[in-house]
Amino acid sequence: MSNQDPRLDPRLGAAPDDAVTDDLSAEEHGRGEGVGEAKEVEGLSQGQLVWRRFIRHKGAMFGLGVLIAVMLLSTLTMGIGPIPGLWHVQNFNSPGDVLNGGTPTLQIPGLFGGTTFAIGEHPFGQNNIGQDMFALVMKGVQTSLFVMFCLSAIALLVGVTVGALAGYYRGVLDQVLMRITDLVITLPVIVLGAVLGKLVGILPIRFNATPEQTLAINNNMPLILSVALGLVLWTSLARLVRSEFLGLREREFVDAARVAGASDWRIITKHMLPNAVGVIIVNTTLLMSSAVTLEAALSYLNFGIRPPSVSLGYLITENQGAFATRPWLFWWPGLFIVLLALAANFIGDGLRDAFDPRMRKIPSARQMRLATHQLPADQGVPTAAAGATAASEKSGASETDGPTKEER
Amino acid sequence: MIRFLARRFGLALGTLLALSFLMYGVLNIAMDPLDDLRSSPSLNREALMEARIRQLGLDRPWWERWWQWLLDVFRGDFGEAWRSGQHVNDMLVGAIQTSVQLVFSATLIAVLVGVTVGLVSALRQYTAFDYTITFVAFVMYALPVFWFAVLLKQFGAIGVNDYLNNPVVNWPALLIVSVISGLFWAGALGGNTRRKLIVFGVAFAVTIGILAYALLSGWVENPRLGFVGVAVLGIAAAVGMTAVFAGMQNKRALYSALATAVVGVVLYMPMQYFFYYVPMSDLLALGLLVVAIIVGAAVGWAFGGPDRGVSIRGAVVVAIVQAAAIFADRVLQGWQLYVNASVIGGRPIATIGSQTPNLGGDYWITQLDKATHLVLPTIALVVISFATYTRYQRGAMLEVLNQDYIRTARAKGLPERVVIVRHALRNALMPLASVVPIDIITMIGGAVLTETIFSWAGMGRMFVNALMLSEIDPVMIYIMITGALAMIANLAADFLYAIIDPRIRVNA
Amino acid sequence: MSTSAEQAGAAGGGRGGFGSAVKLSRSTGGEVAKGDTILDVTDLCVNFWVNDEWFVAADHVDYTLHAGEVLAIVGESGSGKTQSSMSLIGLLPPNGRATGSAKLKGVELVGMSQSRMREVRGNEISVIFQEPMTALNPVYTVGFQIVETLRTHFLMAPTAAKERALELMRLVEIPDPESSFYKFPHQLSGGQRQRIMIAQALACDPKLLIADEPTTALDVTVQAEILKLMRELRERVNAGIILITHDMGVVADMADTIIVMKDGRVVEHGTSDQIFHHPQHPYTQALLAAVPHLGTASDDVTGHPATLVARDDVPVPARDGDPNVTPALLLDDVEITYPKQGRRPAFTAARHINLRVDPGEVVGLVGESGSGKTTIGRASVALLPISGGRLSVAGVDLSGATRADLKNFRRQVGIVFQDPGSSLNPRLPVGESIGEPLLLHEGLKGAEISKRVEGLLDSVELPRSMRNRYPHELSGGQRQRIGIARALALNPKLLIADEPTSALDVSVQARVLDLFRDLQTEHGFACLFISHDLAVVEQVSSQIAVMHMGSLVEVGPTEDIVQRPQHLYTQRLLSAVPVPDPDQQRERRELRDSIIEQEHIVS
Repeated sequence: MSNQDPRLDPRLGAAPDDAVTDDLSAEEHGRGEGVGEAKEVEGLSQGQLVWRRFIRHKGAMFGLGVLIAVMLLSTLTMGIGPIPGLWHVQNFNSPGDVLNGGTPTLQIPGLFGGTTFAIGEHPFGQNNIGQDMFALVMKGVQTSLFVMFCLSAIALLVGVTVGALAGYYRGVLDQVLMRITDLVITLPVIVLGAVLGKLVGILPIRFNATPEQTLAINNNMPLILSVALGLVLWTSLARLVRSEFLGLREREFVDAARVAGASDWRIITKHMLPNAVGVIIVNTTLLMSSAVTLEAALSYLNFGIRPPSVSLGYLITENQGAFATRPWLFWWPGLFIVLLALAANFIGDGLRDAFDPRMRKIPSARQMRLATHQLPADQGVPTAAAGATAASEKSGASETDGPTKEER
Repeated sequence: MIRFLARRFGLALGTLLALSFLMYGVLNIAMDPLDDLRSSPSLNREALMEARIRQLGLDRPWWERWWQWLLDVFRGDFGEAWRSGQHVNDMLVGAIQTSVQLVFSATLIAVLVGVTVGLVSALRQYTAFDYTITFVAFVMYALPVFWFAVLLKQFGAIGVNDYLNNPVVNWPALLIVSVISGLFWAGALGGNTRRKLIVFGVAFAVTIGILAYALLSGWVENPRLGFVGVAVLGIAAAVGMTAVFAGMQNKRALYSALATAVVGVVLYMPMQYFFYYVPMSDLLALGLLVVAIIVGAAVGWAFGGPDRGVSIRGAVVVAIVQAAAIFADRVLQGWQLYVNASVIGGRPIATIGSQTPNLGGDYWITQLDKATHLVLPTIALVVISFATYTRYQRGAMLEVLNQDYIRTARAKGLPERVVIVRHALRNALMPLASVVPIDIITMIGGAVLTETIFSWAGMGRMFVNALMLSEIDPVMIYIMITGALAMIANLAADFLYAIIDPRIRVNA
Repeated sequence: MSTSAEQAGAAGGGRGGFGSAVKLSRSTGGEVAKGDTILDVTDLCVNFWVNDEWFVAADHVDYTLHAGEVLAIVGESGSGKTQSSMSLIGLLPPNGRATGSAKLKGVELVGMSQSRMREVRGNEISVIFQEPMTALNPVYTVGFQIVETLRTHFLMAPTAAKERALELMRLVEIPDPESSFYKFPHQLSGGQRQRIMIAQALACDPKLLIADEPTTALDVTVQAEILKLMRELRERVNAGIILITHDMGVVADMADTIIVMKDGRVVEHGTSDQIFHHPQHPYTQALLAAVPHLGTASDDVTGHPATLVARDDVPVPARDGDPNVTPALLLDDVEITYPKQGRRPAFTAARHINLRVDPGEVVGLVGESGSGKTTIGRASVALLPISGGRLSVAGVDLSGATRADLKNFRRQVGIVFQDPGSSLNPRLPVGESIGEPLLLHEGLKGAEISKRVEGLLDSVELPRSMRNRYPHELSGGQRQRIGIARALALNPKLLIADEPTSALDVSVQARVLDLFRDLQTEHGFACLFISHDLAVVEQVSSQIAVMHMGSLVEVGPTEDIVQRPQHLYTQRLLSAVPVPDPDQQRERRELRDSIIEQEHIVS
């Protein structure tokens, strides 16, 4: 069966009313195989189609919701850049009096013996020197978000460039770029990351920096670290973009553009990249999820973010010894890491489904059972459930089982 | 094909060499062996620094030092961790084994469990089961391993150990676990509502029964398999293997699997005497496993019939299960002794290290000790990879189920089991060969974290410590060994691919 | 336990003995005699549940099928011909439902339980699928896949099953069955794989054989062989055959009765003679009129044939032309080689090619897949480098051209690609695709470019509003029109048309060909028209060049090539093309058999 995008398949395309109708059959709509698709695509660009499929994806919407909520929460409470937030503790590193043994004041009915809903002074509790955990965690979330976006952007840039060049030009350039990729991919990211983290940490000494410069470097540690780690995490993207480009290169519209006289640059940017955007976006979101956990892991190993910056991984390291006595110090940073990574994953999954035309929505067995009652009246309740068999129930076999390829 | 593999091997060696050169350069910048002296208040600071520069040869350019290091490595001298003065060769002896053991066992479990769950998830696409597995996989993927490991320590180890010291059955938890088990099996086996209800009921009852028995009878405090356990396991394996891979109507396969199980049960008592009189070793254990496989193959061959291959395969798997069961039974016989040993103190699930120091005891006790130490780090590592494998395998299976030849197989009238197991599974497992090597690299990375958290004296921890202390030699050796393992995994994958895919193996 | 059965199976070599093997699957409705009603379909409906709505794929289909009869279900894409047949064996997608009744020897198939249906599939009803490469499992030997079918429905020892499989493979004329038994699908050619599919389908002596476009993926000469095989088999097996196809030529070759389907409805049902000679429904009439009919587009010829023929080692020489005219395309001893890539060795796709296309002339280039015809087309627009000889377009020599030359050169040529689905950038509105050559070569912008694009859309008879649409919104025919408009944007002297209509339904193809002829007359461009379909090429071109395995074998005026081919390969190719007329096709079949015999004598 044809692997090509069913939406590009001639027989699935709609024949809009104002168009010349080539098909003898086109005067009548709503019959025959594939009409459902035709109905769906009328008047929409590819981007709009993807977007529509994306916003119908429950998991993706959940992920997006969580991500936006966390971003809003951290920005509103701790501010952004020089703009202060609304939370009463803005200087997150300042110690304070430990109240009530530092136990969290957050109360949610039914959870951890809470009876009423209350936020209180220190909802996530305090550590042993009285720092407000909520402020620290929110600041850590900001760092993680920053690293997540920044690191992904760097990896995206490098990965797409390498992949596109290798896939488009092939030959020697491809060989060289892929050997470099192999070199980077050989070591686990965490190992390379640790070495680079160590390198970043030692920068002030290497540059014989003055104390002010050292402070500047340390304050911008998240940025520097993101750049360094971005140079590690690009490999998978490069490989995917390369194979995507190798495939696109054989598509006839690329040949058509070349015959039309388009330069290599124009072909890459105007014709091929927009068609590879699905793969790129999907994998960037997955990259974002890895970025969060990688940063946290490196900070945990002490090769990542250091004070005065705060990161979620660093908070866990700080407090893991206190787990038996003050578990809240440990719970919250971890939970937020999970939330961020999970949200990115779900968004990525939704995007994958939205971009992959083969992931057409097929109804579940349950939906089919309900639908059976709505069969056109003259056909009554069907005597058969020809498709609802062990066979098809178990399969995604359906998808391409539709109309067979009948060209030629 | 030999030329192809030779070329790949040459490429791998070249990559490794380039890697060593580049990493040496990067490490030279990243490491500052003088860091402690820079802030030192002592008066002869300059002289101390001078001495260290001479000691480490820092006055020479780094590529010269790299060349020297390379020559030494080829001579078998891996250098030393200069701060402690320990020789790297000595540090490696235990560390490699520890790490490889950890990564290997975790990979094995992750592949088996992840792939199976992924397959079932694909077969139940768009059901509640599928969605749940997807969600769980995502959560596991998002879990920071070090955070999860601390939770494991707290709830897994300390919780279990506390229970063992003071057994009080937690009925609500028991009930919840049983309900989850019931839902899992009902979702995994699928079918119509009636069948799902039956499956749920049976799974629920069996789970709660087994758990209640284990807790109430004191089995948990003194776990063992015994004669009955070995017999039940063997028969279950025989029936299960036949049902999935041969089909219950294939009587010869069923009988040969059952016969193998019976052989295992019959050998149970004699083996106890054997273990009593003959001191055990790894080599002997391996030998016994080989014997078991041969016996299984022989039984399968004897039942033979037209489809000898199927019978032999089933019987061999049952034989392995039986051998493992008898081995595990013997290991568990040392439980009481182990738990009550003074160094253990009734808290058998270890959270630190890869073995208990000064434990003593025979081969069986050592095995038990290793196992109790492996449990938590392995779980932590498996959780990282589980998600990758389920998601990947689910996708691969769905892809294959969409292929034309699956429709052909159905059109031929093959039973659904044959369509799935013979036609879909075989094709869906092939791409796994290219995923496992990549995942092994991830696992090695994960081991860096787990070893640090659980204080294992493995390679990963050696790397972290040496990097922290700016000791270049151990770090370089770690990088080389990791790189080599990755290369080997990749080569093995290429080789495997060439063997299992006829399109590569048989040149058209 | 099964010894007796095994022995019986082992003993059962011939068909009679085979019948005594113990059948695992129950028979449906007893034995079949010639002329019995095998299948009785009444009110069969197939619906698909898409986006919370039911869509009709097949609507109240009725027919009966007798043993030994071939029923052809004809229709264009999306007419429901495949799904209505798949519903017979319960292999609809999960969102499909069948209602109504289909009785196999009196046993109801619609609504049959899964376990019972499994006994029917492969045993009573078997299917030959379209694409033999993907329809066979790549990791098992073809022998195993036949044996598997047998052993699913019969209690048979592997040795007996192998015997039977070898017998089947001999029946479908697989060369050297003993060694082919152990081959994997990828080691066999497309035609041989389809033979294996047929052998597998015949394994259990089915009552009903469903052939779903069995020859569509094959080359025309291979198609002819498979059709011959199927025709012979229908004499030998006592089964009813449902042939699903869009190709009226194949129908004319095989069918006894014909159902014409359109949008899920049966529009006409009759005997082969009725449908071909006295079609009643306007759709059937239009469909038949749209099918290109080989040998009808050219006048009769007399005198000496003017074709140039390759003989032994001597390639076809260049045609003499008017020395005062600069040919639009001139290939002089051209060789095209794909360079070595990785482990794949270098491959010469075309050698010693001499071809001339004069201005305003349409030359058809015909050949089967892998003959190198597309390679020549791509080299002519400088998408592929030539490795030997000289290639010039409108006097511009391509060999040793610099970048600037190339740009100039590309103003002279346009190309229309085969696959309308892939030849337009899915992310660009089609107007932008058409305007791209104008932008790049003439530097046009804004309103100017809009005007030109609108003019081009007019000339390919598409509404101007369509320029803002995306390719996925257009039908195949519309997309191909856009492709033509883009190729003509710069008013090229030469147009390369690479199978421009082969992905389209016949009725669409007819209209696109009409458009092409009009445009050619109007603009007067020269054209190299590449196609595998001789009937199409005959309609549009004045000269035809025939390619076979990388070389030209015969070049000459269309009438000569079609009516009195000189080269043996051309003769074979021509005789293999089925014509949509049962009587004529019968004559041609006899002619073909004699040619094949002749070839055997020669070789």
